This record gives sequence, structure tokens and C-alpha cells, in this order.
Amino acid sequence: MTTSILGLFQQPEPAADAMDGLKEAGFELGTFDVLTGTPYPEGAFGEHVPQHRLFRFPAFGAIIGFTLSIFLTAATQLAYPMVTGGKPILSIFAMLIIMYEMTMLAGVIATVIGIIFESRLPNLKPGVYDTRITEGWIGVVITFDDESKVADAENVLNKAGALEIKHA
Amino acid sequence: MASEAVAHASDHHAPPPNVDANVVAKELIASTTNASARFKTIVWILGILGIIGIVSLILKWIDQGDDSTKWGYVASLVSFLLAVCGGAPMVAMAPVMAKANWVRPITRLAAMFSFGSLVTIIMLIPLVALLPPLVYEGTRRRSIWFEAPDYAPHIWSVIGLLLLFITGLMLFYSAAIPDFASMRDHSTGWRQRWGKRLARGWVGTDIQWRTLRMRIGMFGTFYFLILVFVTFLISTDYGQSVIPGSRDAIYPMSLTISSFQGGVAAIVIALYFSRKWMNLEKFVHLDAFWSLSRLLFALTLLWVYFFYSSFIVFWYGRSANDIATLDLLIRGPMVYAFIAGAILIWFIPWWILIWNRVRRGTTAMVVGAFIILIGLMLDRIRYFVSAWSVPQDQIHQKWLKVIPETYFPNVYDILIIIGGISLAAMLIMLVTRVIPVLSVWQVQEFNLLAKPIRYVRGHATLVAKPD
Repeated sequence: MTTSILGLFQQPEPAADAMDGLKEAGFELGTFDVLTGTPYPEGAFGEHVPQHRLFRFPAFGAIIGFTLSIFLTAATQLAYPMVTGGKPILSIFAMLIIMYEMTMLAGVIATVIGIIFESRLPNLKPGVYDTRITEGWIGVVITFDDESKVADAENVLNKAGALEIKHA
Repeated sequence: MASEAVAHASDHHAPPPNVDANVVAKELIASTTNASARFKTIVWILGILGIIGIVSLILKWIDQGDDSTKWGYVASLVSFLLAVCGGAPMVAMAPVMAKANWVRPITRLAAMFSFGSLVTIIMLIPLVALLPPLVYEGTRRRSIWFEAPDYAPHIWSVIGLLLLFITGLMLFYSAAIPDFASMRDHSTGWRQRWGKRLARGWVGTDIQWRTLRMRIGMFGTFYFLILVFVTFLISTDYGQSVIPGSRDAIYPMSLTISSFQGGVAAIVIALYFSRKWMNLEKFVHLDAFWSLSRLLFALTLLWVYFFYSSFIVFWYGRSANDIATLDLLIRGPMVYAFIAGAILIWFIPWWILIWNRVRRGTTAMVVGAFIILIGLMLDRIRYFVSAWSVPQDQIHQKWLKVIPETYFPNVYDILIIIGGISLAAMLIMLVTRVIPVLSVWQVQEFNLLAKPIRYVRGHATLVAKPD
């Protein structure tokens, strides 16, 4: 069974010390994280940098939209061939408007879908949490599969100066 | 991480002290509940005017739904609302992408304008019905839709506006999730329940913040690309293409620039009143007004540049087509709207905003912003009323042979314009009851990254700029 504990800090320095302490105590990267109410500069707590693929979604959506738009505009013009102003039936400049709009449309839809997958939202099991985090406090949360390490984590948090430790 | 020190020339601009994160959260969340009697009265008045505007739109459709020449003022309103409600969110996004710290507290207010785009869509509905198909009276009319199906401009303009609206809402929501978490944690009643629902379990992990930044960047980029495109569609399909022989490549850009100008002006006004009436002085510093004023000044000067670039082509060209276009849009039925618009959107704001003393304050600047919005409306009236006053049976002419008479607004038009603007303003004001008008996490971030310091014998703000 997965359990988690949360150490609460008022200042960023001790929270960063706790993160360092957890690394030194042998806790695996990805089993502990920092919770903040405002985005600190990346790497401020020496935290693990998780990989995400959010940027792939709009690119993928835009490619699909662009491809569909070429198909739609070309098929329409080939199905109803009509020479306008002496231009070729398949005129790229005449197709650009629809191509642009469909690319944007598919890009936005794919981004929304990407957010659902990549933002870890909705977070159905938020685990241990404290409402003071949105008031500027900083939380260091550790997740365990093995409860024997809880005491080690508490020691690290206490040593770093956690003002409170909560269990879930 | 880079940093920069911004020196302050006088005590007037000595940086205000930072505010504790818990004070930011509590006071901003409290601002959603403590609406004054004045706020409620204004919302009620705007709501009633909005309903009158919608009823007038329906009555006008019943009364004049078969005559497109009577719908120029509604087209002007659509273009005006697209400029203000569409332009405002973009104005706050661009400085964020450039990592400007001053803009952080303002981005929520700017994003809230996206809700006003709903009114733009409502007002567009009768225009879509009145816009002639591409093949009209058996002949294909001139448009940007070279070989597209008959109703392509109708369909794609609606899709474009809906896309802009949805992207605007996503931009707003993406940046609002941490504040919904704050509402969940510190609010009560229905606000807390809504906060819990909309926060989607946000706890502020590192990956959540990283993807939040990326979301804002992505939707901001999409928003910019879509706004420019939709402005282009509206200006060509609902403006130029209904004027026989009109072809002006600069006008869509001119409309886009003035929409940014209108957006900044609207933000200045909204920021001024929310700061004053909601007691937000400690969160929104004068620096924000100062920076906005420089942006507004630059955009005001750009308006005349684009207008002149467009005008000079017609003026030098002197073909029958060029002369007819100038006769319709500048010298003709709307000459007084043109003169008044140019004075109010450019000349007066130029001479108001040129003074450092004005740009460092708030009152004269908000007056300048109001003047710009009036000028923007007149500028839109000048173009779109003239364009729509041309009867559709002349749409195939090579150029306009007969310049139509001035079409003055009737009671429907006046009520629709007042109602449309009121409805948009009311929607934006109502959103401030659901979520703080200033972003809690961005004000906290602003304080986190900016520290007031003594710099030799003066004052300065040390701004950290994370890479």
C-alpha cells in the first residue's frame, strides 16, 4: 500500500536542505517532490526534473489539421473544378486560409487533450496536502511503497527543520 | 538565472514593500466576496442594458432583417468588441513571454476579457445571415475566398471566432488552476466547491508548475495566431469584400494594431478601477501603469503609421477605384466620424501620453484610455457603417459608382451598441466574483522575484529572471 508524508517549511532554504537530505539518504528520484503555491525558478530546490511530452501534442495536432485541410481543400476543388481568374484548379494561395484555420483548430484541440494527459490533472488521489501551501508555505512530500523507510524520511525532514510533518 | 536592477528616479517611484504570500492569498480571495454596493449597482445596470441590447438586436432583425444596409453599426460593434475583448488578453501575454515582471499581477485581468468575446459571437450572428454568399445573383463576387464553397466566409468566420473564444477561455483557465486551488483551500461556500471542482486536484508539484508554464506559452501563442487571423477574416469578409472594388492589403494589419491599442486601453481602465475600488494598491504598483502607458503610446503612434500607409496608396493612385474608395471611407458619408475618430484614437492620446508626468500617474492615463476607446469605436463606425451602407445589388461593380448617403444610427443601433458593450463589461465583472481579479500565484511570484533594494543612494528593484 502506498503512503506519503509531508514536511512543511516556511522558507525555501530548509526545504531545499530536506530535498538534498532525502537524496543523500538514498531515496529514489521521483519518490519525493516539492509542493509550492507559486512557481519557484526551476532547480531552486535541486528537485528531480521530470520529463514531459506536452510540446508533442500541439505539433501532432497541427500536422493532422494541416493534412486534413490539404485533403479538404484539394478534394473540394477537384470535385467542383472551376477556373477562377485563370489560376490553376489547385491554387495554394486560395487554400491557405482554410489550411491555416484547420491547423490552428487541430493544434488547439490536441493541446487541450495533451494537458489532460500530461499535467497529471485531474489528480484523483492528491495524497497528503496542507492548505498553507497556497499561503506561501513549502511542502516536501515523500511517497513510499515500503513503510520501513518512513522513519528515515521523518528524520531527514526534522533535521532540515520541518515545522510540521503530516501523514496520509 | 539572470537579474536586473531597475533604478527609480524619484521617491515617487520608490519600490513599494513586498507583501507576504499569506496576505496576498487571503486579501485577494476576500476580494471575490466583498463586493461593494456600487459594484452590485453597476453590474445590475450593465445587465439590464445588456438585456435591452439583446432584445433590440432581435427586434432589429424582425424589423430590418431583410436590409443589409442597416447593419453597419452592428458590424462596427463586432469589430470593436473583437478589438477590445480579443486584444486585451494578447497584450498581457506578450510581456509575459518576454519575462517582464511588472505584467504578472495584470495577466488575470487581461485574460478575463476573453469572456467578453461571447458577446462578439452573439452580435456576429445576424451579420452571418446577412452576408451575401460568394455566388450572388448568379455571379461570383470578389473576396479572399478564391475557389471556396458559397458559404465559406460565413462558416470559417464563425469557426474562427469560436476558436478565439475557446482559446481565450483555455488561456484563462490554464493560468487560473492554481488560484482555483487557493479558492478551494481558503474560500467558503459555493466558491470553495467550484474551486475544488476546477482545481482538478492541483497541489503545486514541480511537474504541475512546469506544464502550467508550457500551457500558458502554448495557448498564448495560439491566441496570438488566431487573433490576427480572425481580425483579418472580419476585416476582409465583413468590411472590404462588401465594398465594390475595395482592395487594401494594409487594412487588416491596421485593424490588428488598433485592436492591441484598444486592448491596452481597456486593461488600463479596468486596472485603474479595480485597483481603486477593490483596494489593490499594494499588489498593483505604479510601475504597471508606467509600463502599460509606454505600450499604449507606441501603439497610438503605430495607428497613424498604418492609416497613412494605407491612405497614401489610394491618394496617389487616383484611379476611379481609388477615388471611390476614398469617397466612401474618408471624404464621404462618414467624414465627421473619420475626423473625430482620428483625433480621438491618435491625436489627443498622443498629446496626453507624450508627457512623462502623465505616464507615471494613473488619472490622466485612464482619461487617455477612455478617449482611445471612443476613437476606436468611431474609427470602426467610419469603416463598417460605410461598407455595409452599400446596397448588395452593387456588389459586382468594378468600383462604387454612387456613394451612399450617411446612415445615422436609429434607436435599435444605439441600444445594441450600448447593450453589447455593457454585456461584455458585465460578464467580465461577474468573473471577478468567481476568482480574484489579480492572480494570487502571479502576485506571489512577482514578490518572489522582485526585491526592493537600496542602490547606492537611490532606490531600485532587483528583478530575478529565471532562464
